[in-house]
Amino acid sequence: MKTLLHLFLILALTLGVEAKEIKLLNVSYDPTRELYQEYNDAFAQYWKTKTGDDVVVSQSHGGSGKQAQSVINGLEADVVTLALAYDIDAISAQAKLLPANWAEKFPDHSTPYTSTIVFLVRKGNPRNIRNWDDLVKPGISVVVPNPKTSGGARWAYLAAYAYALETFNHDDPKARDFIRQLYKNVPVLDSGARGSTVTFAQRGIGDVLLAWENEAHLALKEFGADKFDIVTPPLSILAEPPVAVVAKNARRHGTTEVAAAYLNYLYSDVGQEIAAKNFYRPRDPAIAAKYAANFAPLKLVTIDQEFGGWTKAQATHFADGGVFDQIFQPQN
Amino acid sequence: MSTVQTKLKQLAVATVAGFQLALPATAADSTNTPPDNSSDSSAAQAAEIEALKQELQALAQKVDALEHQQQAPPSAAPTPSSPAIADLDQKVRVLERQREIDQENAATLAKSQPKISMNQNGFSFSTADTNFVANFHGVLQVDSRTYFNNPKLPAGTDGFLLRRARPIFNGTVFKDFDFNFTPEFGGSTVQIVDAYLNYRYDSALQLQAGKFKSPIGLEQLQADVNTTFNERSIATDLIPYRDVGVELHGDLAGGVLSYAGGIFNGSPDLNTTTVNTGLSNGKAFVGRLFAQPFKNSDLVPLQGLGFGVGGSYQHDDPVTSELTPGYTTDGQQKFFTYGSKVLPAGTHWRIDPQGYYYYGPFSLLGEYDISAQRLTGGTVTGAKPVTLQNNAWEITGGWVLTGEDAGYNGITPLHPFNLHNGNWGAFQVVARYANLDVDNNAFKDGFASASTTGTFTASASEARAWSVGLNWYLNRNLRINGSFSRTDFTGGRGTGATVTEQPENVLFTRLQLAF
Repeated sequence: MKTLLHLFLILALTLGVEAKEIKLLNVSYDPTRELYQEYNDAFAQYWKTKTGDDVVVSQSHGGSGKQAQSVINGLEADVVTLALAYDIDAISAQAKLLPANWAEKFPDHSTPYTSTIVFLVRKGNPRNIRNWDDLVKPGISVVVPNPKTSGGARWAYLAAYAYALETFNHDDPKARDFIRQLYKNVPVLDSGARGSTVTFAQRGIGDVLLAWENEAHLALKEFGADKFDIVTPPLSILAEPPVAVVAKNARRHGTTEVAAAYLNYLYSDVGQEIAAKNFYRPRDPAIAAKYAANFAPLKLVTIDQEFGGWTKAQATHFADGGVFDQIFQPQN
Repeated sequence: MSTVQTKLKQLAVATVAGFQLALPATAADSTNTPPDNSSDSSAAQAAEIEALKQELQALAQKVDALEHQQQAPPSAAPTPSSPAIADLDQKVRVLERQREIDQENAATLAKSQPKISMNQNGFSFSTADTNFVANFHGVLQVDSRTYFNNPKLPAGTDGFLLRRARPIFNGTVFKDFDFNFTPEFGGSTVQIVDAYLNYRYDSALQLQAGKFKSPIGLEQLQADVNTTFNERSIATDLIPYRDVGVELHGDLAGGVLSYAGGIFNGSPDLNTTTVNTGLSNGKAFVGRLFAQPFKNSDLVPLQGLGFGVGGSYQHDDPVTSELTPGYTTDGQQKFFTYGSKVLPAGTHWRIDPQGYYYYGPFSLLGEYDISAQRLTGGTVTGAKPVTLQNNAWEITGGWVLTGEDAGYNGITPLHPFNLHNGNWGAFQVVARYANLDVDNNAFKDGFASASTTGTFTASASEARAWSVGLNWYLNRNLRINGSFSRTDFTGGRGTGATVTEQPENVLFTRLQLAF
């Protein structure tokens, strides 16, 4: 009888400590495919070592605004890693899936890495594009996604707007006119950053692609440094892609702890190194210094100082009837 | 040849051809125009057209020359030989990309668009992810009954009737919650026959609450539009109709085993007029297990074998509403009721072993029902409360003459009715025998009614019914039935019975629309 009892206890303990397989869904924006592909493997290894449990992270990518809408509509993301805070605010406000103060849950307003908008031009820069004002010249063809659906496109729009405000001493009508001229030179609007890269790099359309810095570097890697050059303008915007646990979904899936750990690990040395290697600007000063050669120096303005934060910028520029709707005329 | 050059050449050639075609028409038009310096203007037009033709031919020659010059294969980046060509090249690329984007957007939009369908299964509206679904179905049954009785003892009323007229609304909200709302406009009263919500955790675990069929009888649980005859057999007289309650149910192992169990208000035998409230404080525990062991096996001849058992246990309060309003024949005439002083006096249980077998066009369905109810109020002096056990059974067989597979869920004609194509649909011959035997103590102790009021005049102790019929399935939605039933009675109480003193012979017809 005792032997049986011992066997039973051993069996129970064995079953009790059996490794679990945890599934996470990370809903992200277009250009982070490569970043999270590498990061997910690193985190799975870290979590296995720490807890013995296996973590399988699934990814979903698309235009940031579209991805946020998918989560609002029921895509059961455990975490979101989107292009801009406004999109996570929308999830919080419309679907109540995470608290309004989600940005306070992780350091640096929950933005473990930053980026900016640069120019990708054809090899040798045949149109001599150096700064934002080169983009509004007649005959220049600019490729950029639709700011209504793409986070990167909204950052690009605001970077151009910030340049115009600075150039015209914050004369808003002149800045708008500058933006109008720029978008007159846009022949086609893709819904996301990856689509615009295809338009520019694969379809051979346009003279310049307004791209995430990491997306521009990836284009060089993927299509060859002999085909394109990266031009970093003297001024651009500090893009802060935020991350958040979708609290209600994670709670329902029983993944709250691992989801938080997943995002926290982005701030670790390993996470920061992976971000830097994928051409995102790391927050960690030491790692940023280590990879400084990857990132050209430039003046970076913030959305808070130049546009009063995302909520105001969204309402003014990208809401239906906003500035973008007023200035953009689709080309026939 | 590059895409651009091809297009340019095609453009030039097409333009030249267009002018050449347009020229005679222009000339014809000019002949119909009133003369007004006609010779001068015609000459000027001809000269202008000729000049245009020469220009276009020159353009075509330039394009040909470009074709020879541009031998390099196309690359991702534009390699224009002149600003004009580069500009055209970009325009073509933009147009092509725009088309791609439009197609992608259209595909994305299509995925998010609500779906609307209208087919033999009814009308359906759903969101793209099918998390929200609304269906509209309907059932219409127009019957006729013709009784062949002794003219001196008229029983049933010949005529047409709207047996069932039901709009059915069902669907799903938030992916896992199903609903059904089915009112009945047929018969003589408007009522709700089904109104329930069903939470589907998965097919093996579902919780249903509301008003629906109690999970007991095999024939009773078969959909009204799929029953073999117009009316269910007299064996189903011992089974409750619909009831209000909560039920846990599901299919295990891919439907090999189905289970259902729940608590209901408790309904008397054959209470065809359903109510939406409890009849008394007593509640009924109802359950059913049904196995189709070979359903998913390779043993094709046994795939259609199913058997199981249903049952119920309830405590009845001493109220007449817990007592059956009467057992009826195939022709829907009452042949047995309890006396006016009879009341329930405790437990009421039922057991219903059941089974079916379908193989190709062959079908066989049967069940044995026992309903035992404790009663008081027998009119014989000194009669004590007794438990009366009424037994019934039935067996129904069928054969689809046109070769389609028979099934519990109906028959789908291989060749739907279409006279233009010479298709007639499916035909099925059916036969049934059923028996209902009322406990003899119901007569010995005076529980059976001997009333001579109304259309019913006396109780029989046993009814034996046989039926034959022909079912014509024009298509999945339309069906025409014709059948004949004969019911014989024995024993009983009372005299001068117009129903039970003679066999009941009824000819049924039905025109059914179900979608």
